Amino acid sequence: MQLPEEWRVNPLLRVEGVSKRYGGVCALDGVSMEVAPGDVHALIGGNGAGKSTLSKVIAGVVRPDAGRILLDGKPATIRSPLDAQRHGIGIIFQELDLFTSLTVAENVAIRNVHVEKSWLVNSAALDGFCRPFLDQVGFHLPSSTRVEELSIGQMQLVAIARALSMGARLILMDEPTSSLSEDDVDRLFGLIRSLGRNGVSVVYVSHRMQEILRIADRITVLRDGRYVGTRSAADVTPEAIIAMMVGAELAQTVHAASHRTDRVLLTVRNLSSAKLKGISFDVRAGEVLGIAGLVGAGRSELGAALFGLDPTAAGTVSIGGRDNVPPSPREAIARGLGLVPEDRKLQGLMMQMSVKENSTLSILPELAVAGLVDGRQEVSRSAGVLQRMALKAASYDAVVSSLSGGNQQKVLLSRWLLVDPDVLFLDEPTRGIDVSAKEDVYGVIEELARSGKGVILVSSELPELLRCSDRIMVLHEGRVTGMLESSEATQEKIMALATCSAEHANGEPQIAE
Amino acid sequence: MQSEQIRAAKAEPAAPKRAAKWQSPLAYLRRLQSATGLIGLIILAAIISPRANDGSVVFFQVGNITDIIRQVSEIGIIALGMTYVILSGGIDLSVGSTLALSASITAMLLMRWSPGFGFAEHIVLAVAAALGASAAIGFVTGLVISRLNIQPFVVTLATMIGVRGFARWLTSNTNIDFGFGQDVSAVFSNVGSHKPVVIGTLAVLALIFAFVLGRTVFGRYVRAIGDNEKAAAYAGVPIARVKAWVYTLCGLLAGLAGVIHAAQCHQGNPNDGVAYELEAIAAVVIGGTSLSGGKGSIGGTILGTLIMGILTNILRLKMVDTNVEFMIKAVIIVLAVWAQSRGKPS
Repeated sequence: MQLPEEWRVNPLLRVEGVSKRYGGVCALDGVSMEVAPGDVHALIGGNGAGKSTLSKVIAGVVRPDAGRILLDGKPATIRSPLDAQRHGIGIIFQELDLFTSLTVAENVAIRNVHVEKSWLVNSAALDGFCRPFLDQVGFHLPSSTRVEELSIGQMQLVAIARALSMGARLILMDEPTSSLSEDDVDRLFGLIRSLGRNGVSVVYVSHRMQEILRIADRITVLRDGRYVGTRSAADVTPEAIIAMMVGAELAQTVHAASHRTDRVLLTVRNLSSAKLKGISFDVRAGEVLGIAGLVGAGRSELGAALFGLDPTAAGTVSIGGRDNVPPSPREAIARGLGLVPEDRKLQGLMMQMSVKENSTLSILPELAVAGLVDGRQEVSRSAGVLQRMALKAASYDAVVSSLSGGNQQKVLLSRWLLVDPDVLFLDEPTRGIDVSAKEDVYGVIEELARSGKGVILVSSELPELLRCSDRIMVLHEGRVTGMLESSEATQEKIMALATCSAEHANGEPQIAE
Repeated sequence: MQSEQIRAAKAEPAAPKRAAKWQSPLAYLRRLQSATGLIGLIILAAIISPRANDGSVVFFQVGNITDIIRQVSEIGIIALGMTYVILSGGIDLSVGSTLALSASITAMLLMRWSPGFGFAEHIVLAVAAALGASAAIGFVTGLVISRLNIQPFVVTLATMIGVRGFARWLTSNTNIDFGFGQDVSAVFSNVGSHKPVVIGTLAVLALIFAFVLGRTVFGRYVRAIGDNEKAAAYAGVPIARVKAWVYTLCGLLAGLAGVIHAAQCHQGNPNDGVAYELEAIAAVVIGGTSLSGGKGSIGGTILGTLIMGILTNILRLKMVDTNVEFMIKAVIIVLAVWAQSRGKPS
């Protein structure tokens, strides 16, 4: 990797070989990067690439297992966010951590106890302390304004002013534009540039390719927890970055045989909610519809809306003879929809109940006579499907929490196979499970398609989507940015649509931010 | 993809092999903690219990044992309904007030109402009215909790206050004493405080509640909701309906305990039953039911009830001061819950 000489000599921040494991999952694997003074350095990567873990390491929120962080060439121990602040690292989280019922001045001065020698609040002294920083970020309202009265964009300015007031030389911003209007984005970018001119570095974490190309001096790409490369924004194309994000493994994934028919099972038209903007698509019998998108694109929100879990959802959802959005999960199930949620522990399983009880929970009324569960029928129905799933458990009466992640996922899938819905929405069904369990899940998807069911598959693993899907719908910030037939889909095309870089959108609807 | 697979493979160690079937006796005792506690307490009772004149242990006299069960029966009946509520992830603070209301209604209808037909019909109607009112209170509580989505603690705290007020207002805040001799209230009181009736009611209800919890769709739903309400919603469990039923049953049992209370006390007192909710919750918790829901059993609750009862009994046989008794119970509650939470993955 060729770095400019002066930058190599004088990095403000240098990350060396940082690794972090969560349980068995390797979130960061020997990542190194450098940020020069005044540099606007973008950090980009697909889902699970390690961007947020790396930011958290730099911010002192997460302690790395290996590697070190150098500031001004000297090793720095950053054990807590407070340490990070002392070292001049400020963090602007996506969810701004301001005290909304306090005033702007109180928020800016919150950790600068030396402002107040007395324990009485002196608002004039507070204002005097805050004003220069507020002016620097272009915040012109009185500093006695309560934070809850501000817009998101103004709150962000306050957060940046606070970081500056604590002497930040490097400000880390995590998806700072995700809830900003276009004017606010322009204002923020102006501020970032002026920070850069004053020698304050910015590490900018974002999904938005166009913004990154517009604001960043340098771009570092991560993939699967590893460092891929750093490029100067001036001489890089979106295609090149996408190629780095996706990786060189272009081996054609074998696509499963298609079982798609012409019979439409589910029609969605103009489905909107707080997070979704006019989503339309069909699912046909025997079809696997893949859904791609980066975190926050609205994939899980789409599942929630279809399944009656989002009261703000509106639009047409035609299935089971009805055309409105199902008002509740019960109603959605009655119409022939199923949802295997993303977080199996939080939204899926009863961890203290047995394998058998978890698998039959949604068909209990079927198994009961006059409210009494027919034990024999319950055992035979659950055993049938659990054996088909090759579930490994001490017994079907074992508590679900004693199972491995892959087997837990199989229990959850079994529940829905027993319900046997016409269309099953699978949200990240292979996350955190081992290779053989993944194959079993693919087998289930294939089997469902063969038997004429419709499957909606949400996944962050593009090879998995390419392998299983007949079509792939790409979402970006709540909108459909592309619908690709599996024959024409590639990881690059999907990533381009998911990051919404214009050149790759092929006439698909564009995001007008 | 390959690296992805390797990463995932590392992420998921094979399911831990189940330990051999053999369990050390200690582990076995730990699993059946409340039973162990009960046995220990009985042994302790046998040792410290005073002796009767003929040298026999007072604690083990049939009269003493049945007395204990009769004394705990009201709390025991309430605790059955409370077990369902706590299993579903909730709490019901209103049962003491409901008991008082039920006892008051029973007494009012027996003493101040002369319907002009037989004693049996009169008693049945009075009891039915008391139970109906109690169940209605539980039903409304359940509806408010599930439909308006307010915390059970807050809703039942309000019910506790409101129902107490209602009971006092209804009776003008006076005891309604039962009559004697051939009065309908005296007959009711005789039957309703008869040991076999009281103990039998508790036993039959315990069996029914254990059966419903273990074998019916409703019982399964109760546990599922308490284990993981969000997942239960995703699975299509009718949460609002189940919760309404759970609180209705809890109210109904509190009402039944109130009827028995009236019979045993020979009066309807709108100020009775204070802190009964806490004793019932203590019995449930000592019985191993988790306050965070999803885990527990009726059997455990019965054991918990008996533990509290026996403790009271031996302390009173030893003439221990009532206030000291409270302090000892406080320690027991904390110890029991601490022992049960040990060695478990949170």
